[in-house]
Amino acid sequence: MTPRDDDEREIERLVETRLLRVNALSFGIVAGLVAGLGLFVATNWLVLKGGGGHEVGPHLSLLAQYFVGYSVTFVGSLVGFVWAFACGLVVGYVGSWLYNTVARFRHQRGAP
Amino acid sequence: MTPAFRGRYPLLFQVLDGASRGHLNLGQPLRHEPQSERPPVPATTHEPGERSFVIIGGGPAGLTAAYELTKLGKKATVLERRDIPGGLARTETYKGFYFDMGGHRFFTKSEEVERVWREVLQDEFLLRPRLSRIYYRKKFFYYPLKALDALAGLGPVEAVLIMASYVRWRLLPHREEDTFEQWVTNRFGKRLFETFFKTYTEKVWGIPCSELKAEWAAQRIKDLSLKTVLVSLFVSPGKKVKTLIEEFHYPRLGPGMMWSAVTERVEAGGGEVRFGTDVLRIQRRGDAIEGVRIVRGGREETVRGTDFISSMPVTELVRRLDPPPPLPVLEAARKLKYRDFLTVCLIVDKPDLFPDNWIYVHEPDVRVARIQNFKNWSPDMVPDPGKTSLGLEYFCNEGDKLWTMSDAELVELGRKEIDRIGLARYADVEDGCVFRVPKSYPVYDSGYAEHLAVVREYVDGLTNCASVGRNGLHRYNNQDHSMLTGMYAVRNMLFGEKNDLWSVNADLEYHEEVAGPAAPRSMDVLMQRALAVLLARLDAVALGVSAGAVSGALLFLMSVILVAKGGPVVGPTLSLLGQYLPGYEVSSLGSVLGLAYGALGGYVLGWTFAHARNAAMLGYVALLRWRARRAYLRKLLDEI
Repeated sequence: MTPRDDDEREIERLVETRLLRVNALSFGIVAGLVAGLGLFVATNWLVLKGGGGHEVGPHLSLLAQYFVGYSVTFVGSLVGFVWAFACGLVVGYVGSWLYNTVARFRHQRGAP
Repeated sequence: MTPAFRGRYPLLFQVLDGASRGHLNLGQPLRHEPQSERPPVPATTHEPGERSFVIIGGGPAGLTAAYELTKLGKKATVLERRDIPGGLARTETYKGFYFDMGGHRFFTKSEEVERVWREVLQDEFLLRPRLSRIYYRKKFFYYPLKALDALAGLGPVEAVLIMASYVRWRLLPHREEDTFEQWVTNRFGKRLFETFFKTYTEKVWGIPCSELKAEWAAQRIKDLSLKTVLVSLFVSPGKKVKTLIEEFHYPRLGPGMMWSAVTERVEAGGGEVRFGTDVLRIQRRGDAIEGVRIVRGGREETVRGTDFISSMPVTELVRRLDPPPPLPVLEAARKLKYRDFLTVCLIVDKPDLFPDNWIYVHEPDVRVARIQNFKNWSPDMVPDPGKTSLGLEYFCNEGDKLWTMSDAELVELGRKEIDRIGLARYADVEDGCVFRVPKSYPVYDSGYAEHLAVVREYVDGLTNCASVGRNGLHRYNNQDHSMLTGMYAVRNMLFGEKNDLWSVNADLEYHEEVAGPAAPRSMDVLMQRALAVLLARLDAVALGVSAGAVSGALLFLMSVILVAKGGPVVGPTLSLLGQYLPGYEVSSLGSVLGLAYGALGGYVLGWTFAHARNAAMLGYVALLRWRARRAYLRKLLDEI
């Protein structure tokens, strides 16, 4: 067997047997940023388009049910960024932590 | 002998112990000449306390060592057997034509080597396009192989047979890969191996592919392993590999130009390069070398020094030691084999013959293995633009029938074969000459590793001597690797570094100083960790549970918040989810139902995503494996 074959088998072994661990904080921050920036851009997009005499962003403004202080305005987009970032952070962190915990538990029990 | 001495050479004493039990005839030393019988001779000496460096061999390794020493203000004496520098990378001349012995593309992954090349030759490098083809069954095939060209040359039936053979050997490969034949067959199928690799490889090495060790191929193209391809995709694009395939740098007058320039710099720095110098004996006291007994111009002399670097074949090094090493070492050295070659240089009275730099000749009915067209390496290699110079390379063993043919016979053979192939007409060849290159390739036969280990252990035990270069290490190194061994030998001697010269080879990332037995693996460990992060599998169940829990909780919270806030119509928009989730509504009971729906839907999505991602990653690795295999195929012939 040649050294390279060892390398190739090692790589396949990595893909087949090693489990991906997620850094919960990093993942949470990334999820928070994506959510925050997404809401920020979506809100300002509607603000720039304007309502043409109608209410601006009637559906998006329903988020105010959950995000206190949020509205489809520029100031509201900043508030929405903070809320969405916080939610994304929590969801991303909790989701990653859950994934790691379940994966570790299953790995310890010898799951395939 | 002391236990410490035995401990230092365990392998040697293992052999010696076997010998003492009657397995080997120790007898008398082979080359031992009693001190008292030697005539008094003049000696080149050095100032007491000053370190003086003696370098045996004026090839890339030896001259690079001398060059590095010169730059550090040290004086080196280089002893070179021939009248020109460059060793195996020399450029011979005949009537104003320049002939590169073997064809040396200047390409390296070592920045240190690149720096030396640029320092020495500066703007004397040409960037040349590469074109090479295979001549087989009276047809030419581009190499690296091109699918349509190969298909047109071989015909559809043969192409199908090659594909079928490939599939057969991928499904049912050789279980062991000890030999080159097994190694190539497992990767490309037997039919492709027999078509494009077998004949040429056997011409070059002179032994059946079934006896050539796979380790040789693995070493030569190690830098194209799957791991390297993989890492190159994430770290930096593999542009250099592409560059080597399609174009290369080359000194205007061949590699000899580089080594002549290095010689001038060494001499300008106070060093000395003695051409036409034969080494008779290497004088040893215990584990230290004291001097080199040489003959030059019929005059014997001893060159003394404090430090010695030898790029002569390691077999010759141990044979010339005086007093000689233990007989098992000599015996092991005797069993190490080399392959030799000769170049029949033809001057053809035609301005252009063919566009290739070189052609691989797979045709079994001619003996020539490779044909160089030096004008296509550099136009300056030819003094008259109306003529073309060719180098027909014949691989042989020193002393065999081909080797001992007269130059006139060899030129005649070359003329006939170039005419038979159809690259030039017999009548157009107006002149020719022959250059022989002994010990051009160390042979990796079945026993070489064992024999080399014995020799290496002994040579490593010499306290003030380093063996470097292709033949000094009996390793199929390229010019740049040989240069690196010269550089590292100097660093080991001057700065006490512990670079393992025997490990410098096709490994592209050899830069680290070896601090201990575990050190060489440290890069592998780091690589594994990085790859683990990049490629490791997602646990589908864990991702499903995680996604299910989060989405269930979110839907539950969203519903509960609206229920808690109340109003005439609670959550009219969110309750639209009931269109997809039967029974769901924004109410207390609906929140619980939403939790269940969210958990189930999230689990399914997470589980599916994880499996899809894992399958994509396996497919990606398969793609990388295919690319790596294609890269082997593109490089294999160049490395034979």
